[in-house]
Amino acid sequence: MEALSYMSVMLREPWLIALVAAGTCAGVYVGAIPGLSGTMAVSLLVSFTFGWEQHSALAVMVGVYVGSVFGGSRSAILLNIPGAPAAVATALDGYALAKQGRAGEAMGLATSQSVIGTLLGVLALATCAPLVASIARNFHSIDYLMLSLMGLMMVGSLSGRSVRFGLIAGCIGIFLGCVGVDGQTAIKRFTFNIVYLNSGVDYVVAMIGLFGASEALSQITDMKATPVKQKVDKILPSWAESLKYLGLTIKSSIIGVLVGALPGAGGDIAALLSYDQAKRSVRNPSAPFGKGAVEGIIAPESANNAAIGGAFIPMLTLGIPGDAVTAVLISALTIQGLRPGPNLIAQTPDLFWLIVASLLVASFFLLVFGLTGIKAFTKIVEVPKGILMPTILILSVIGAYAIRNSVYDILWMFGFGIIGYFLKRFNYPIAPIVLGVILTRLCEENYRRGVMLQGGSVMGMLGSIFTSYISIALFVLLVVLFVTQTETYKHWQAKRREGN
Amino acid sequence: MRKILALFLVVLFAFPAVAADYPAQNITGVVQWGAGGGTDSLMRPLSALAEQSLGKSIIIQNMTGATGSIATQYVYDAPTDGYTLLMGAENPALYDILEISELTYSNFDCVYLIGDEVVGIVVGKNSPYKSFTEIIDAAKKAPWTLKISTTGTGGLPWEVGAFITDITGAMFLQIPYDSDASAKTAVMNGECDFTVCKIQSGIEDWKAGDLKFLCLLSTKKVDVMPDVPLVTAEYPDFAKYLPWGPFYGVFVKKGTDAGVIAKLSEAFTKAGPQESYQKVLANFNINFLGYSGEEAAKYISSWRENTVNALKNSGALE
Repeated sequence: MEALSYMSVMLREPWLIALVAAGTCAGVYVGAIPGLSGTMAVSLLVSFTFGWEQHSALAVMVGVYVGSVFGGSRSAILLNIPGAPAAVATALDGYALAKQGRAGEAMGLATSQSVIGTLLGVLALATCAPLVASIARNFHSIDYLMLSLMGLMMVGSLSGRSVRFGLIAGCIGIFLGCVGVDGQTAIKRFTFNIVYLNSGVDYVVAMIGLFGASEALSQITDMKATPVKQKVDKILPSWAESLKYLGLTIKSSIIGVLVGALPGAGGDIAALLSYDQAKRSVRNPSAPFGKGAVEGIIAPESANNAAIGGAFIPMLTLGIPGDAVTAVLISALTIQGLRPGPNLIAQTPDLFWLIVASLLVASFFLLVFGLTGIKAFTKIVEVPKGILMPTILILSVIGAYAIRNSVYDILWMFGFGIIGYFLKRFNYPIAPIVLGVILTRLCEENYRRGVMLQGGSVMGMLGSIFTSYISIALFVLLVVLFVTQTETYKHWQAKRREGN
Repeated sequence: MRKILALFLVVLFAFPAVAADYPAQNITGVVQWGAGGGTDSLMRPLSALAEQSLGKSIIIQNMTGATGSIATQYVYDAPTDGYTLLMGAENPALYDILEISELTYSNFDCVYLIGDEVVGIVVGKNSPYKSFTEIIDAAKKAPWTLKISTTGTGGLPWEVGAFITDITGAMFLQIPYDSDASAKTAVMNGECDFTVCKIQSGIEDWKAGDLKFLCLLSTKKVDVMPDVPLVTAEYPDFAKYLPWGPFYGVFVKKGTDAGVIAKLSEAFTKAGPQESYQKVLANFNINFLGYSGEEAAKYISSWRENTVNALKNSGALE
């Protein structure tokens, strides 16, 4: 009841609803442009809303956050260019659908799944925040290591044609992830004494180059191909269809909430892991994964939006950010004179419920803006390539520069673009490169930390798995994931099915 | 986009400045750390006040990465016309020693030194250690087994860890994390035994009882934590390194016209003591210093000397 009275602030101050709506709308577009990210938009808003009162500032930022996480799927589906790392997995099947003229359907599905994902995330935030927070807080280095190993095993899922090619691409990504000053020892790796290389390769830059610039390059060199005529009659997925996939949606959202709540991992890893999970668990997908399976959109899109609610959990209950955007939000609260930390909810319960209410309102507007714009968006694909591709290149340059205001990032972006172009020509998958760049740090640092914690003993580190329930659960999961990948298991499965 | 546009305009209209008509255009303030971080939160309100006496805007630009050395290099590469300011924390003072970059604060003139802050030794609420002395005794009994969570080589807990080793002779296992939030979490979930934490970043957990401050590295009691003892009560030798703590300041590249520096210093010196800014400092538990010119340079060089000495004595540096 108390919660409802706090949440009704939205009705008493109706301009907050307008602010959430405006934020969500802006967020969708910011998220759709590769390189312009929710983190950047919210950072800009921190200085912009410096003089505003708390409620208005928070409402607009929450709107932008929700909109931008969803927006990434737009460009992923239409152009094969994920607008944000969390949409990398969406591109795999989304773009395949667009090539079949079903972009409208894919975008409709992404919208409805993002809305459901957001709502499930909010539900988790409102009902079991303390539980999730205690899991997040008790996540040890070894647990992060196992999580990142699960992530790296996805190279198999993202490889497409051949695992060997996927492994090579993954290794390129891991190598590039090593560039820069090592955070633990301050030793420079592959920096060649160039100061601007010290901060390493930003994985968003890698993504813009590998997907955006390389797509533009390969399309420019293949100007003859005509754009696919898009069907726009079936946009909104039917209730029956949504119900049919509800199990997958809920599973993916749970992954989203949990991974989103971990301070060391966010929506991008959540989306990739749930794509992987879908690929393993869905018996008869609507089409093979990577060739336009709707399940390949449902899983990552519900997971990355559910991760929003997840990321708010440690931020609001512990004062520790769950991802990059909540890190900025913490500072926004600090600037507003609040003290994020374990006392925040007790001291200012109105803020907690304002955020919950803003998330709910934002998911409603996500539905509105997500579905109304689809017809106009599909036209983008039909724009002549002579206009579209140069525009994408320009956006890629701006996006790469805007991340850190660094000219070197533009060079990196073009470098990745060229690598991506050649890899695509020779049919190598490129998603594993991004995966490698994203996961290298997480994997390496936690491995080293895990060993150091045991006084330098690798065996000791492995032994420490059996000292916590979280570690044991993750270890079992890791082993299951690994075993079910092996040929022996697949053989046995096939035999068992024949036997039935 | 605003930032890009602003940068573009700055580049477009950049021409050599003369002290007399300085500032003739907007000034860029390059913050070494992310928007909304500790450094950023101190620089934005200060700049807003300094703008009033400068008559031009200070456009804040966050340039993160590599312990702030990217921003430092950027400001160093810009012309010495006083239109690009470096807004940073203590880190560049040790860049050369830690081999992060060849640049240090000796390549810059300090326009305004805002203040410094107190740090403390913290443990989780379930920790068996009730005092700093207990930690030291345990570490001496079993060297290299007690774990201190750090933010990596060159970070705050690493530096203080070196002080502790220098003064008490106790040896610890240093476990590096990627941020002070995760170093703190590691102490709270029992992965590490203790860490070193700014009052600013630990106070809320301390109030909630999740984190215990065992002692503070300060020469005088801190108002918000009146019951937490000072480290000198247990180890008087610490006094030679105190006061010590992270500091924050505004800098220009060496070679900037003295008249320009004077004008900048004047504007910031007017801004710092204002009531609204003092409130910001109190909120972050920053000790206000408000130094400029010689005084600031002296503070930074003695800070560096103390720190380097301790690092060498403890064996953290060769």
